[in-house]
Amino acid sequence: MERGHIHPISSLIREANRIFLDMGFSFAEGPLLESEHYNFDMLNFPKDHPARDMQDTFFIKDEPGYVLRTHTSNVQGRYMEAQMKAGNLPPYRIIVPGKVFRNEATDMTHEAEFFQIEGLAVGEDVTLANLKGTLARFFKELFKGASVEIRFRPSFFPFTEPSVEVDMRLVGADVPEKLRDKWIEMMGAGMVHPNVLKNAGVDPTKYRGFAFGMGLDRLAMLRWGIDDVRLMHSADLRFVNQF
Amino acid sequence: MKVSLAWLQSYFDTPLPEAQVISDALTFHAFEIESIEGDTLDVKVTPNRGHDCLSHRGIAKELSAILNLPLKADPLRAPLPELPESGKVRMLIEDTERVPVGAAAYVKGVKIGPSPAWLKERLEAVGQRSINNVVDATNYVMFDIGMPAHAFDATTFKEGEGIVYGIRTSEKGEKVTLLGGTSVELTGKEAVIMNAAREAVDIGGVKGGALAEMKSDTTDLVLSTSKFASVETRKAAQRFNQRTEAAKRFENEMADDLAVYGIYAVAKLISEVAGGEIVGYGIARARKISPQQVAVSVPQVNATLGTTFGVDDVVDVWKRLDLTHVQEGETFTVTPPFERLDIAIPEDLVEEVGRIIGYDKVSPAELSPFQKHPEINKNFYAAEKVREEFVSKGYSEVLTSVFADKGERQVLNKVGGEKPYLRATLVDGLKEAYEKNNRNKDLLGLTEVKIFEIGTVWGKKDEKILIGTADSQGIQEKPLESASASAYENLPVSTTERYQSFSRYPSIVRDIAIWVPNGTEPVEVLKIVQQHAGDLLVRSEKFDEYKNEKTGKTSYAFRLIFQSFDRTLTDEDANQRMESVYAGVEEKGWEVR
Repeated sequence: MERGHIHPISSLIREANRIFLDMGFSFAEGPLLESEHYNFDMLNFPKDHPARDMQDTFFIKDEPGYVLRTHTSNVQGRYMEAQMKAGNLPPYRIIVPGKVFRNEATDMTHEAEFFQIEGLAVGEDVTLANLKGTLARFFKELFKGASVEIRFRPSFFPFTEPSVEVDMRLVGADVPEKLRDKWIEMMGAGMVHPNVLKNAGVDPTKYRGFAFGMGLDRLAMLRWGIDDVRLMHSADLRFVNQF
Repeated sequence: MKVSLAWLQSYFDTPLPEAQVISDALTFHAFEIESIEGDTLDVKVTPNRGHDCLSHRGIAKELSAILNLPLKADPLRAPLPELPESGKVRMLIEDTERVPVGAAAYVKGVKIGPSPAWLKERLEAVGQRSINNVVDATNYVMFDIGMPAHAFDATTFKEGEGIVYGIRTSEKGEKVTLLGGTSVELTGKEAVIMNAAREAVDIGGVKGGALAEMKSDTTDLVLSTSKFASVETRKAAQRFNQRTEAAKRFENEMADDLAVYGIYAVAKLISEVAGGEIVGYGIARARKISPQQVAVSVPQVNATLGTTFGVDDVVDVWKRLDLTHVQEGETFTVTPPFERLDIAIPEDLVEEVGRIIGYDKVSPAELSPFQKHPEINKNFYAAEKVREEFVSKGYSEVLTSVFADKGERQVLNKVGGEKPYLRATLVDGLKEAYEKNNRNKDLLGLTEVKIFEIGTVWGKKDEKILIGTADSQGIQEKPLESASASAYENLPVSTTERYQSFSRYPSIVRDIAIWVPNGTEPVEVLKIVQQHAGDLLVRSEKFDEYKNEKTGKTSYAFRLIFQSFDRTLTDEDANQRMESVYAGVEEKGWEVR
């Protein structure tokens, strides 16, 4: 019997999980239909702040206070809170691959539903340098054989401080030409804001953490040269069966 | 925000480097640059710096720190102007909740006319149209120091020798005609500027009204730089669809004192470019904000960033950023300047150090070994098992949209409004996917379409993950049952190097059967077929074979699929290719059945 094919996003998640598991990260998950409490409040988004507008949120009819999650970061608060309630102190290391939503018109590079992978590492000795090292290792293993450089630029997110945008550059003869030697914007990241730790019951004077959120659709598009993000949800085997 | 390099240069004695260097400096130490057009940079100021950086002064201050170039003069470091009490401007701020600082000025005897060339050039460089000297002066102050300002015809504000400048809460149902002619109905939630007759002349922080609009013969002005509360202003701007430059600045919050610098700057500039006499100022503060100190230590900076910066490195950052500080050993207590509302906790200072020195100084370091055992996720483990089970049976995995025409729960505000429901089943999506793929069965080279999806669905109260399948037997779904395990199985990942885009146009299928002498290999025959079928042949395979011992001939049947990347093929297109194939076959001495 000829084997079928898994979706490229599933393949990417399988691979990411393997790479991050080696670095001590557990796979964690949370609801897609989420309360504003976990999607925004726990993450230090002030009520009525313009930062909430950046998220282009889907609200749910007749269920005030509920949204389709705008990022996988909702699991940050959920996970840490549950661990603290169970008496498990940090260190914590999780990845959260999963679907997220943005209320915007779709085109070749924008989808209303897409995939993200969140990373969260909390401990007594976690630094921004560790964020750089962790991402460098992830991309190095994902783009096998390539030499990887990671670059940070200042940014702003309510739930990290400092906040950075992460660029990646792949160098090496094995790298597909379209990606070779070019800086590519990959994700937003930063050091977990002390209020996020505090909101989840973690002592911010003792523990620090880094967090990142990367678009998996975009990563898949770069990795395989996919030209239209809408193919991901097309359920078209002319697409899926190539993987 | 659009930033003019000439405008920035006016803040420095030293000539600034070229646009690209400035762009890089800002990109790696402050803000993303959306575009560079000639001498104008479009700077994407982050929401936390809307307080101070939606202004040329703010960007100049950043550049000064990044490039380590002193500012020629900083208008916000001049002592807070002491505005003489004239008794000619009566402040009547009734809505102190929405207006923490009221600021106004009364100017008499101006001559409205064209702006001087320098002022026109400044505004045009940032994409603003020059209107007249007074309006241009108010806009200049906003783009220069970030304080929105407005000028009214003073006629209806007059009271004796002076004016009365009031701000009250709007009344529900009250109507205001805005500049430009749009008429809006207020909701009782806005602050409005009012004249002596208590008539609304402006939606506070959003847009001026027509009632006190300046005319070409206006000589007496009421100037306003009151500070409106961020959330209320943002909501009002949204409510009336007036996201003006002023509203953008108020919604990001700004320092109370900026209103005072603002009224002074705008009155002064107007008297310079339009003449007239400043009769008096009015300031009404509803609160007093004392500066907030923030402490951070060098070890704290290094423990967060993973760096090895020394005390001197950190001192240098404070100096460049003009941050007043007291040092005690390795600890600094910083008193942020009044306009830096973003500096409130130690981590904010860590960020200042990191970005000004540069994140390129943060060297990658691996995390220390994890002392606990990572958990195996029960749902993911189960989903992976299911995935492998179906793939091994020839099923391919699809993803379909969670948005549907029906369901138990509905999204409130979907762009476009289509498919507002959250799916309660995978069946509908899989049915559509099955039918679509089934039409492409030949093109895909499949004898049967077999697909599966592992996806989230929503009931009235719950959210669950289902496994759905679709094949020639029908469509089925069942819940994903989580499973415990001590380790994930080692499952294969895609080995595909590059994706090949496919044609979105329909394909045409043609079958051909050919008699060849026994012993002729099918690949040999297919090669001839392919040679003569041309570029539009996207798929070809043998699907039948019959050997006739009596005649000594074998018949091979091939299925040929034609498709174009740029158009829908016609029967005529396919016929032509087939004629060419027939000719090629006959040339070989074979026979088409």
